[in-house]
Amino acid sequence: MSSENPPRPTDAELEILTVLWSRGPTTVREVHETIAGRRPTQYTTVLKQLQVMAEKGLVKRDENQRAHIYEAARPREWTQRQLAGDILQRAFNGSARSLMVGALSSRKASKQELAELRALLDEYERKTR
Amino acid sequence: MNVLDQAIGWTLLHSLWEGAAAALALAIVLGVTRSSRIRYAAACVAMLAVLAGFGVTFYRLRPRHDGGRMIVRILPSAVNFTADDGPVAMTHTWDATDLLPWLAPLWMAGVLLFQLRCLASWIGAARLRRIGVCGAPDAWFERLDALRLRLRMTRSVALLESCFAEVPAVIGHLRPVILVPVGLLAGLPAGQVEAILLHELAHIRRGDYLVNLMQTVVEGLLFYHPAVWWISTVIRAERENCCDDLVVATSGDAHEYATALAALAENRWTMREPALAATGGNLVKRIRRLLAQPEGPRTAIAPVLSAGILIVTCAVALVAWQTPQRSAPAIVPVIPVTPAPAVEAFEQTQVTPMARPIAPTRMVGLKAQPEALEQLRDLMQKLEIKRGVSRFMLALAQDNPSAQANPAPWPYQKWLDEVSYIITDAERKAFKSLVTNDEREMFIQQFWARRDPAYPQTTAPEEYPTIPKGNPENAYKKEFYRRIAYVNDRFADKKVAGWKTDRGRIYIQYGPPNEIDSHPSGGKYERPAEEGGGQTVTYPFEQWRYRQIDGIGANVIFEFVDKARTGEYKLTTDPAEKDMMKQQLRMVEKQLAALPAQMKLLESQLEIVNSQKEIEKLEQSMRALLASQAPIEQAQKQLEELEKHLQVLENPGAVFLSTGPGEKAVVVVGPDKAVLVTIPIDYDATRISTTVTSSEGKTVGTMGAPLTDPCEGKPADSGCRNNYTKTFPLPPLPPGSYVMTTVVTDSNTWTEKTYVVNFTVN
Repeated sequence: MSSENPPRPTDAELEILTVLWSRGPTTVREVHETIAGRRPTQYTTVLKQLQVMAEKGLVKRDENQRAHIYEAARPREWTQRQLAGDILQRAFNGSARSLMVGALSSRKASKQELAELRALLDEYERKTR
Repeated sequence: MNVLDQAIGWTLLHSLWEGAAAALALAIVLGVTRSSRIRYAAACVAMLAVLAGFGVTFYRLRPRHDGGRMIVRILPSAVNFTADDGPVAMTHTWDATDLLPWLAPLWMAGVLLFQLRCLASWIGAARLRRIGVCGAPDAWFERLDALRLRLRMTRSVALLESCFAEVPAVIGHLRPVILVPVGLLAGLPAGQVEAILLHELAHIRRGDYLVNLMQTVVEGLLFYHPAVWWISTVIRAERENCCDDLVVATSGDAHEYATALAALAENRWTMREPALAATGGNLVKRIRRLLAQPEGPRTAIAPVLSAGILIVTCAVALVAWQTPQRSAPAIVPVIPVTPAPAVEAFEQTQVTPMARPIAPTRMVGLKAQPEALEQLRDLMQKLEIKRGVSRFMLALAQDNPSAQANPAPWPYQKWLDEVSYIITDAERKAFKSLVTNDEREMFIQQFWARRDPAYPQTTAPEEYPTIPKGNPENAYKKEFYRRIAYVNDRFADKKVAGWKTDRGRIYIQYGPPNEIDSHPSGGKYERPAEEGGGQTVTYPFEQWRYRQIDGIGANVIFEFVDKARTGEYKLTTDPAEKDMMKQQLRMVEKQLAALPAQMKLLESQLEIVNSQKEIEKLEQSMRALLASQAPIEQAQKQLEELEKHLQVLENPGAVFLSTGPGEKAVVVVGPDKAVLVTIPIDYDATRISTTVTSSEGKTVGTMGAPLTDPCEGKPADSGCRNNYTKTFPLPPLPPGSYVMTTVVTDSNTWTEKTYVVNFTVN
């Protein structure tokens, strides 16, 4: 693998990378199955894409077994940082937060808040014991 | 001045006090009720009221075509103003009305900006569900489906892992998607992930995404109004509270859920972003609420205060503006102000939650087990169907020749088995490659000859000694067969020949041990420090010590445990093997932990089985799994009983009595404290009573207690056995002989059965 940084992944590549981050080192078949679960795609397309990505240095290939096993070359955090440089991406993702509903607000909790949370939970645990 | 600008300008000004009034009404509602559903509904109504107020005001002030001429009904022109209050107005260097012409364009620009932002959010959200996502593992889909059923949701929901999402979130209303950050599903305990997913499902069930979208649009329209932002904040907070409540009502475990939220906040699956201001998060409040702890300062006070101030200032300003216009009474707008509809709608919403019963809180603990069992029974039904199909296929293919007859047992197998502990692999291979029986007889002679201490040892294994006849005085062979005879005599039980048992094997291999520490009835055992210390109750066990074993070392100890109490002691290297308490604990833990994987395996096997034989086998393993799950609770109970047993055993000089293996009751008596009666019976008993009388016929103590059926509610095939153990306190017994009479009432026939045990206290 080359030591220089791989290029920014395209959207299609990002999808494959997400599968690899989610599942860990994976065979082409499994990547294909996961992607095909959401939209129709050819096995050979995924295989070709993975080969291209391996050339670009986005993924690593383990050829020790009969079925080649692919693995993301960089951790998710690294790629996220890389992608965060993309202004458009960031603007859209940032603004999307105001629309999404979820268990946590888009605000980050502060250190003091986290400490307070811990204390609360600990205290609760102590009480119920 | 444009008439439309004027109408908008006035509408904006009026909406200031309208909004303040709505906020005040909301603040009052918030002060009164704690129910998150009512608070949420009230906040939504307040928001709608501000919007409606804006619309109605604008409608009343709208420019009208009146005989071809556009007029605005309120037209507080500067000329009018100054004409009435001449000198005062002249001194005004600044007046709110001066701002009026600017209001409309400013507002429109703001609305444009905010709606653009809303659009960008919408596009961004659509992108998020498309880019950098992949389907979650199938196992999680199944769990999500189960959770969906628990919330009684019929809508299908997609679960995607996203590399952009920092926190789990719901996107979309018609085709909702739950996005979770990559790594979260695997990174948090399953129970916590489930709680989070429940929260997201609750959002979907409540249609929160759509409400939030509309809320954002309204925020964009009324962006200039602080009260609107405050109401919006209340809606957002109460929305989360509503979902929190739903999660806790469904899962029943507030603490787990709170822990999950805290864990989420702690390690956000985040990308780099500018650090946000540390304040303002309401997570602490939420978790305090979840754990039902008293809150800090009440939330409602601050907004009430601010709304009050706002309304006062607005009223003052309004009066100041309206007084000059006495001359035109028709122009005072009578605006249907918000609180009235708000209260009405609020009362309606208040009724609804009362009418709908909240889902019953579920038991926490071994809750995963019943579901898995349910699933297992389901699988067994499917298997039954498959069995029918297979039978049919078998009937079709009846002509096929069935299984072949077993080949006759090989006459030399017995010898090979006997010497299996001492024969080397090379020898075994050589023996098996022999063709004629003469060769085999020869080999056997040579085999013993090679081990004969009287015979000169050869170095090369190929050079078989060429003694034509075996040496009848072969000491090795004699000792070997003596050991075989010994172990067959001593260690055999009904099923297993003595030489096949573990003790037999060790004895044959290493001869008689130098020391045997035997505990044939188990009982109290002081755990050595290296086994964790403390006291426990053990299964029957034996320890064999060899001073020296060539090739292994000095002071070798073998430990054998008879866990099944069949007399067949098993060799173990684990000192905890004999420890009954540890074993029970371990069994429970192991079974619970192994359950999901076993289910998965059975499920995958169900897919592929075809023949009767395979189906038979699969059914057996399913039944075995089912049976193995049933005694878990029983095991826990037994553990408690063991603790009691231990207490009895701790009494010095305890008498341990057994009425023998063929009989029924086991009685353990401690001379000064307690008596323990163990009665393994195979019928249902309701009551047990025990009387102890001294040899003179004097009653020393009587104990009675109702019994609960340990197998109650378990299926008949669960393998549960009635095994009642009862501990009774007994007064100190002076030395002497006693008779214990135990009467057990059979709950089916309502007859009494009596067990009599004689015992002596020394």
